[in-house]
Amino acid sequence: MTSTILTVDHLDKAFGGKQVLHGVDFFVEEGHVVGLVGPNGAGKSTIMKAILGLIPINAGGVEIGGEPVSITSHRALRKVGALIEYPGIYPFLTGRQHLELFAAKHHQATNIKQIVTALGMDTYIDRKAKLYSLGMKQKLGIAQALVNQPKLVILDEPMNGLDPQAVKDLRDIIRNMAANGTSFLISSHILSELEKVADDVLILNHGHIVREAPMADLAKVGGLTYVITPANLSQATTALTLAKVAYTIEGATVVLHEDTDTDLLNAALYALVQNGVAIKAIDRKARDLEAAFLAMVHEDKGEA
Amino acid sequence: MGTLIQQEWYKLTHKLGTWLAIGFMVLVQVAMAVLAAVYPDSPLFNASTLVENSYIGGDLVMFIAIASVASIVSMEFQYGTMKQLLYRQYYRSQVFLSKVVVAVLQFLILQVIAAAMTVVLSLIGGKYDWFATAKNVPHWQTYALGQAGTLLMGLLLLSVVLMLSTLFKTNAAAIASGFIGYFVITIAAGILIALIAKWEWLKWNPFTFLMTGNQLVTPALANMTHLTTPVMVVGSLVYTVLFGLIAYASFRKRSI
Ligand SMILES: Nc1ncnc2c1ncn2[C@@H]1O[C@H](COP(=O)(O)OP(=O)(O)OP(=O)(O)O)[C@@H](O)[C@H]1O
Ligand SMILES: [Mg+2]
Repeated sequence: MTSTILTVDHLDKAFGGKQVLHGVDFFVEEGHVVGLVGPNGAGKSTIMKAILGLIPINAGGVEIGGEPVSITSHRALRKVGALIEYPGIYPFLTGRQHLELFAAKHHQATNIKQIVTALGMDTYIDRKAKLYSLGMKQKLGIAQALVNQPKLVILDEPMNGLDPQAVKDLRDIIRNMAANGTSFLISSHILSELEKVADDVLILNHGHIVREAPMADLAKVGGLTYVITPANLSQATTALTLAKVAYTIEGATVVLHEDTDTDLLNAALYALVQNGVAIKAIDRKARDLEAAFLAMVHEDKGEA
Repeated sequence: MGTLIQQEWYKLTHKLGTWLAIGFMVLVQVAMAVLAAVYPDSPLFNASTLVENSYIGGDLVMFIAIASVASIVSMEFQYGTMKQLLYRQYYRSQVFLSKVVVAVLQFLILQVIAAAMTVVLSLIGGKYDWFATAKNVPHWQTYALGQAGTLLMGLLLLSVVLMLSTLFKTNAAAIASGFIGYFVITIAAGILIALIAKWEWLKWNPFTFLMTGNQLVTPALANMTHLTTPVMVVGSLVYTVLFGLIAYASFRKRSI
């Protein structure tokens, strides 16, 4: 049986007179990885700060493991690790000293060693943090968030500045920890960045959650498609329409609609060949999650 | 709370500057003692004046403590580490208090080192008699009283520095005001006294209480500050707490 680790209940937040969060409402279950995706200024960091009791809120509430969290009640935060906006670095400490500073005494050395190795930081962990590159600092911030093996981890755009290997390492760490019951709330402004790691996604725009869905469902929105370049576009479209193959025209190509198996492709090719339409090229088009995401955000703007 | 104090202590002791400052202070003290030994007749290196001011250690303790206190809160804003400190299970009051505790501890330790060096250097020199008296008061007693006075004055000055650095989120303004405050009591005390002679109520301004230390050693100052020594002591403590509370109020409301 799964239980809820984080509950965010109809959160309203205004800075001065400007309403930044509008009734943001969601929960995170134990062992789940939830992505919080939205464009710049959507309110991702603000939600995270509210969860961490760093800013006062105007209405609503936050609970972690059943205990309320607010700017004046922080007890529940002992189970939480976080990286918000950018990692804060003491220039006079080494990476390892940062971890020693924040790691609980219990199993300190083992925990530090483990996270340092997992993030591939061994070669520079004993150098002063002021000498670190952007990505190294980012990894140190992530290591700090994870070193106490928290029940709930909040990461604000953790992939910032990470190279592909580091992104993969981080994904593996997150999936491993999630398999052991740790929950994650991870923000990003790129939906596809979270594709391989998030179970569920919240899409945020102008402080509203505009869509809340399992990652698997969102991934289908873009779908896998084939792009066919015929010698003669009008002949091709006539043939495809007759054969009842769903498509759209993009420039001189026809793009077949969502196609997870190759049935649609075969039907299309059969129709084209039957009608004597020469084919110049066939390409597989990666599903375009980003286009789907932008469309969702765009729709929301239309409503507002 | 213990964890927080340990963490503040860890940061302080892992800063190279902390150790360099102590090393520098001790070196200057030794250098002054050596100069006093080489030029025994120079009025610049008069033995009892040197001891009174801990071989310049008295001034250096204040300078180091001012610089350190000015950064203790503001560095967290400067380095972007404040949110890391505050998102944990602790309260802002605890985070703030842990910093105050470590700052006071550092100030005390610096003062103890400076005083211990003074005793050692004066004994090595062999020329200083701690049990000799001036105006019927033995030197050691005057020195101890002076140290107590420095402590009171120092805490008051440091509370102002902490308040300014927290209000302005930067250490530069706070360090500057700390130094200015320090010079005000040493240089501009005369002006302040003249002003008090003219407008009696001015005696209640916080700068007057920076002279508490001097009045402890020189009770006659009471005629000029128009305040008795016990009132001075209590007043300086009250101002220290007041500035500390203002610093906390500003720290508590800081948005992250
Ligand atoms: N301290 C503050 N004072 C006033 N307005 C603020 C403050 N912090 C955030 N905002 C406003 O709140 C809105 C949401 O900001 P937030 O930082 O949460 O966005 P975000 O989704 O994290 O964006 P990004 O992708 O750029 O990090 C923005 O319009 C921002 O201008
Ligand atoms: Mg943000």
